[in-house]
Amino acid sequence: DATLGTASDCKPCPCPGGSSCAVVLNTMEVVCTNCPTGTAGKKCELCDDGYFGDPLGRSGPLRVCRECTCSNNIDPNAVGNCNRDTGECLKCIYNTNGFFCDRCKDGFYGNALATNPAEKCKACNCSPFGTVNKGTSCSQTTGQCTCLPHVENRDCSACSPGYFNLHSGLGCQRCDCSAVGSTN
Amino acid sequence: TRPDVTPLPPGTHLLFSQSGKIEHVPLAGHGLEKTQAKALLHIPDKVVIGLAFDCVEKMVYWTDITGPSISKASLQGGEPIPIILTDLESPEGIAIDHLGRTMFWTDSIRDVIEVSSLDGNQRRVLIDTDLVNPRPIVTDSAHGYLYWADWNREAPKIEAAYMDGTNRRVLVKDDLGLPNGLTYDPQTSLLCWADAGTHKVECMNPSLGNRRKVVEGIQYPFGIASYGKNLYYTDWRREAVMVVDRPAEKNTDEFVPQKRSRLYGIAVASVRCPAGQNYCSVN
Repeated sequence: DATLGTASDCKPCPCPGGSSCAVVLNTMEVVCTNCPTGTAGKKCELCDDGYFGDPLGRSGPLRVCRECTCSNNIDPNAVGNCNRDTGECLKCIYNTNGFFCDRCKDGFYGNALATNPAEKCKACNCSPFGTVNKGTSCSQTTGQCTCLPHVENRDCSACSPGYFNLHSGLGCQRCDCSAVGSTN
Repeated sequence: TRPDVTPLPPGTHLLFSQSGKIEHVPLAGHGLEKTQAKALLHIPDKVVIGLAFDCVEKMVYWTDITGPSISKASLQGGEPIPIILTDLESPEGIAIDHLGRTMFWTDSIRDVIEVSSLDGNQRRVLIDTDLVNPRPIVTDSAHGYLYWADWNREAPKIEAAYMDGTNRRVLVKDDLGLPNGLTYDPQTSLLCWADAGTHKVECMNPSLGNRRKVVEGIQYPFGIASYGKNLYYTDWRREAVMVVDRPAEKNTDEFVPQKRSRLYGIAVASVRCPAGQNYCSVN
């Protein structure tokens, strides 16, 4: 209140870098109106959309607000790409997943951190006949599906030599060819 | 804690969101009264994306992605009233049918368009197929139409349907990039959109299909609203509201708020509702 005529009528804004504030009319609460880039909140204690951290260190060590990069696996046109406090990525794209969109999502394999989106995460495409429990997930790195007995290939799509009947869904069976009547 | 609510004086205003704040600028004729710009509402722990205005009860409705939630507040002051707090993931665009007393919104994680009455009751999913990044949604109340856009980078599109979700069709799919903003003007029957990929504002009459460019070379539009001959869009890169004279096909003015950060949704709070009725208002 600037009209009381004392030296302490006007108090400095409790905002970083002496930025401006306003008093809420009906509650007399003070709200910072011009928080530094990337910060938000009544006292600039939060990170803005697209940033994460704990700029005033309210729940532990101080962490300045940083942009959510999510391993470059987010779309800059999206909103709410990461949790404003923890930085957990919420809108991973290119078939990625994980806290920082740093791994392939279930059913995909490859290198989520590759620079070219086409080289990031590829579908496992496990053969439903050759894979244990018709599984759809594979090794994150090699893409190897979990094959039934005597089934081969990354996607469990072929019988081992000397075995047949992939479509049984139980693994491949030995050919049991007569040694006498077969060519080799 | 109570948020800041500054009652609006009578007259038409432009409302826009700047993450935890809804600002207003009075409109005088076709000009912005920039010196009168003020915060209508401070909700600093929220990130407000979409805005819509109910001309009947003079309430502003918004989506918030941090809750996530859909809430409303009176322009005459008062606390925000939460309406929907469950089964939301990333609510973005919001639109109001002032005649039918319903609201529609998009959710870009659940990939749906939903409807409910203005108090949040009678909620249901209207569209849940072929949506990838649905964002803006608007109503043509007098004709019972709904328009929305999806900025799916593989196949962006602008679609239309009746307000019950039937008669869905793609209106625009060619030469689109990131159609972030959409607005419908009942006076001229023009549907206009702001595209952050093609960097254009374009308009068309949805029943005639006569698409035309209004401005090009714009920076990064997010929301757009129409009022009279003007279009107003928020721009992420300029961190400003840009004014476009539609018939003159040029940018005529801009408003840069004191706080420098991204601007999101934008809506016109008009004094009067556009005339008309639809069958939702009858039953």
